[in-house]
Amino acid sequence: MLLSAVIFLPLLGAILIALARHILGESGLKWIALIVTLLTFAVSLALYTGFDASTHEMQFKEERAWIEGLGISYHLGIDGISLWLVLLTTFMTPICVLAAWNSIEKGASGFMISLLMLETAMLGVFCALDLFLFFVFWEAMLIPMYLLIGIWGGHRRIYATIKFVLYTMAGSALMLVGILYLYFQNDNSFNLMALYGRSLSHQHLLFLAFFIAFAIKVPLFPFHTWLPDAHVEAPTVGSVILAGVLLKMGTYGIVRFCMPLFPEGVAAYTPLIVTLSVIGIIYGALVAMVQPDLKKLVAYSSVSHLGFVVLGLFALNHQGVQGGILQMINHGLSTGALFLLVGMIYERRHTRMIADFGGLSKQMPIFAVFFMIVTLSSIGLPGLNGFVGEFMILLGGFMSDSFSKVYVIIAASGVILAAVYMLWMFQRVMFGKLDNPKNQALTDLNLREIVVLVPIVVFIIWIGVYPKPFLSRMEQSVSQVLQQSRSTAALEAAAPAIVLDTTTKEAKKIDE
Amino acid sequence: MTINWQLLMPELIIILTFILVVIFDLFNSLQKTLTAWITIIGSAIALYVSIDMLQIGTEGTEFSNMIQVDKYSLFFNVIFLVSTILVVLISMNYLGRQDRRQGEYYLLILLATLGMMLMASGNELIVVFLGLELMSLSLYVLAGYFQRSMASSEAGMKYLLLGAFASGFFLYGIALIYGGAGTTSIPQIASALTVDARSPLLLSGMFLLVVGFGFKVALVPFHQWAPDVYEGAPTSIAAFISAGPKAAGFAAFLRIFMDALQTLQSEWIILITILAALTMTVGNLVAIAQRNIKRMLAYSSIAHAGYVLVGLAAANKDGISGAMFYLFVYCVMNIGAFGAVILARTEDGESLMISDYAGLGFKKPLLALFMTIMLLSLAGFPPTAGFVGKFYIFRSAVESGQIWLVIIGAINTAISAFYYLRVVVAMYMREPEAELDFLAYPRLLIVALTLAAIGVILIGILPSYFLSPAQISTFL
Repeated sequence: MLLSAVIFLPLLGAILIALARHILGESGLKWIALIVTLLTFAVSLALYTGFDASTHEMQFKEERAWIEGLGISYHLGIDGISLWLVLLTTFMTPICVLAAWNSIEKGASGFMISLLMLETAMLGVFCALDLFLFFVFWEAMLIPMYLLIGIWGGHRRIYATIKFVLYTMAGSALMLVGILYLYFQNDNSFNLMALYGRSLSHQHLLFLAFFIAFAIKVPLFPFHTWLPDAHVEAPTVGSVILAGVLLKMGTYGIVRFCMPLFPEGVAAYTPLIVTLSVIGIIYGALVAMVQPDLKKLVAYSSVSHLGFVVLGLFALNHQGVQGGILQMINHGLSTGALFLLVGMIYERRHTRMIADFGGLSKQMPIFAVFFMIVTLSSIGLPGLNGFVGEFMILLGGFMSDSFSKVYVIIAASGVILAAVYMLWMFQRVMFGKLDNPKNQALTDLNLREIVVLVPIVVFIIWIGVYPKPFLSRMEQSVSQVLQQSRSTAALEAAAPAIVLDTTTKEAKKIDE
Repeated sequence: MTINWQLLMPELIIILTFILVVIFDLFNSLQKTLTAWITIIGSAIALYVSIDMLQIGTEGTEFSNMIQVDKYSLFFNVIFLVSTILVVLISMNYLGRQDRRQGEYYLLILLATLGMMLMASGNELIVVFLGLELMSLSLYVLAGYFQRSMASSEAGMKYLLLGAFASGFFLYGIALIYGGAGTTSIPQIASALTVDARSPLLLSGMFLLVVGFGFKVALVPFHQWAPDVYEGAPTSIAAFISAGPKAAGFAAFLRIFMDALQTLQSEWIILITILAALTMTVGNLVAIAQRNIKRMLAYSSIAHAGYVLVGLAAANKDGISGAMFYLFVYCVMNIGAFGAVILARTEDGESLMISDYAGLGFKKPLLALFMTIMLLSLAGFPPTAGFVGKFYIFRSAVESGQIWLVIIGAINTAISAFYYLRVVVAMYMREPEAELDFLAYPRLLIVALTLAAIGVILIGILPSYFLSPAQISTFL
C-alpha cells in the first residue's frame, strides 16, 4: 500500500484543491499543495528506510487484477533504480510548489492541480510493473505538462507545448504497438516481471519501437529539438520538472525495458546509440556556448548531460550503468537548481538575456554563492555530485568492451566544453561592472527562495562527498539489469567476433 | 403460431412509447416538452429491459428466423438507447419551449432508434435493409428539421440523395448475394457458401455491400456527405447521426461480414484493411484543416469509423468485441462533444468557429472542462474511455497479425491529438478575440454532459464493467 499511497497522495491533493478552491482562496490552496507534496515526500522516505539493498527483487510490491478480460493488472514495485527516481520526484515537487509561490498570476488553482497530477503520473511511471499501467501513466503525464507549458508559459508557449505533445505521442505510438506485440509473446499478459528472462522474437524491431519513444523523451540527438522550445517557453517550475524528472522517464525506460528485455537489440544498436550520444554531448555543449538566453543555454546543456547518461548506460558494465543512473539524479538536482536560479532573476528583471546582466554578485551575494555551487556541480567539480557521476560514466566507458575508447575520449572533451560555457556564462552574469541601472536595484534572495535552494545544495554536496548510500542501494538491481542485457543470445552473437579477432591476430603473427 | 413477445420487449417498449408520443402530441394545450420526457422514460425502460435480458442471457429467434435476439443485438440496443437518451437530453433546451413541432422531432428519433435495433437484430438481409431504411428516412427528415435554415434544408436534401444512392447499392448487393447463395438469411448464406463458391456474383454482391455500408458509416472514399450534413443539421441531430446510426451500421456490417460472408474472408479482409487505413488517415488529416468545430467533429467521426473498422479487419472474436466496446465509448464521447458545442451558444446562435472558443477556459470553466474531457477521450489519452477502446481494438489487430494497420492507427492517434488539442489550446491558452455573450447553461444539457463525462472517465478507469459484457456478447 505504501507505493499506492505515494503515487496517489498528490492526486488526492489535486482533487481536494479542485473541490475546495473557492473556499480556500489563493494562499490556502498553495498551502494545501505544499502540505500534500511534503507529506508525499515524508511517506516516500519510508521507502528509503524500508528498502532492502541486498536484493535485486522488486520491493513494496502490490498486485491486483484490474482489467481481467485483457490480462491487465495493477502491479507496482520498485528496485534500487526506481527508488531513486521516486525519491527525486517526491523531493523536487515540494520545491517546485514553493518556487511557484508568487510567480503564478492567473489560475493558481489550475497550476497546482496540474503540478500535483503530474507528480502522480511521474511516480506511476517509475513504479509500474505492468506494461499497460506504465503506458497509462506515461501518456497521462502529457496532459498536465501540456497545460503547464501552454497556459503559464512564455510568448511562444503554444508552439512549444504542441511540439512537445506531438513529439512524445509520435514516439509512444510505436511503443504502444511494441507493448501489444510483447503481450502476445508473454502468454497474454502485460506483466513485466514475467517478460524478464523470456527469449523474445523480433527483438531488433521491438527494441527500436521502445527505444525511439525513450530517445525522444531523453532527448537523444537528433530527437532533441522539442526540448529547447519547451524549456524556454515553460514557466520556471515547468522547466524544473521537465529537466529534473520528466527527461529521466526516458533514461529510466531504457534501463527498465530496452536493456533487460531485448539483449539482441542492445547488441545490434549499441554502436549507433553511442555515436548519437557522443554527438549529443558535443553538439549540445557547442550550441549551449553560443546561446544569448540563459534558459536556452541550460536547455542545451541538458542535451549534453543526458548524452553522458546514455553513454554510461550503454557501456554495459557496472561503473557505466551506475554512473548513468547517479547522473540522472545529479542532472535532476543541478539542472533543476539552475532553472530555479534563472527563474529567480527572471522574476526580478523579466529578461533572461545574458547581455542584460553583469556584476550581479555585488548586488546579490547570496544568490551568487548558490549560483556558483550549482554551476560547479553542473561542470563536474570534484567534491560535488556531477563529478562522481561523470567520472563513473567515463570510467565505465573506458572499461567497456561494447564500444571503442575513441568515443569516450571525444565525450570527455564534453566535460571541458561544459566548463567553458558554464563558467563563461557565470562570468558574464555575475562579474564585471554593475553598469545597468536596472540591475543596481536588484534585491537579494528572500527566505523562501533560500529555503527552496538549500535542500538541493545539501544533496549536491552529499552525493559529491559520500555517494555510497546511493550507489549501494542500486548495486544489486544494476547487476541484474546487466546480467539480463547480456543474456545468452547476445553473448553468442558476440562470441564469433572474438574468435575472429584472435584468428586474425594469429594470422598476423604467422605473417611476421 | 405463437410469438415470443418477451424476446421483443425492448422493441415493443419503443413502439409503445412512439404511440404515446403521437397521442400526447395531438393535444396542443399540453406542454410540448412532455413528449420529450415520455421519450426519455420509454427509452430508459427499454434500456433497463435490454440490460436485464443481457444479464440473464435471453436469446432466440422470432418471425420465422427473421429476427435474431442475442447478446450481440442486446449489447447494441444498450448503445442505441444510451445514445437516444443523451441526445434527447441535449435536445430539449436546444429546441426551445416555443417549438410547436417538437413532438415529431422525438417521434422521428424513436423511429430511427427502432430502425437501429432492427439492424442489429436482423437475421435476414431484408430485415437489415428494412431497419436501415426506417432509420435513414427518419434521419433525412431530422437533418432538415430547421426549415427556415438554408443549411439545414441543404443538409437534409444532401443526406437524402446520397443516402438513397447508398441504399440502392446495398439493395443491389443483397440481390446479387441472393443470386449467388440462393437465400437472404444470414446463417443460411454462411452454410451455402463453401470455399469454392467464389462466384463473381457473390464477390460483386459483397463489394456492393461494402459500398453501401461505407456510405452509411461514412468510410473514405464514401464520406463526402458527412461534413456537410453535420454542419448543416441541428447540432443535436448531428450528435445523433454521428452516434447511434453509425453503431447500427457497424452492427449489421460486422454480423453480415463475420457471419454470412465469413468464407469470403480472405477476399474482403484486404478491402477492409485498405478502407480502414484510408479512413483513419484521410479523416484525421482533413480534420486538421477545419476551422468550424462541427466540421472538425465530422471528420473526427470519420476517422473513428476507421478505428472501428480495424476491429473488423482483425476478423477475430476480440476484433468484434473491440468494435462493440469502442462504438459504445465513441457514442458517449461524441454526443458529449456535440453537447459541449451546444453549450457554447450565444444570442445569435452557436459559436462554431474554433477561434470563438478562445479564452473560454477561464470565462466559462465548466463548458471548457466538459469539452476538454470529451476531446481528450476522442484523442485517446488515458485515463479516459477513448484510450481503453483504442487499446483493445489495436490489441485485437495485433493478435491477428495486422501489425502495419496498427502502426498506421497508432500514428493516426498522434495526428489526431493535434486538432483535438487545438480546441483546448484555444480555450485555455489564447486570449478571447471578441466579447461573446453566452447564454446561461441549460440545466438538462448539464445533466447530459455530466453523465457523459462521468461515463468517459469511469469507463477509462474501470473498464471491466463494460468490457466483459462486450467480450461475452459476440456472435462468434
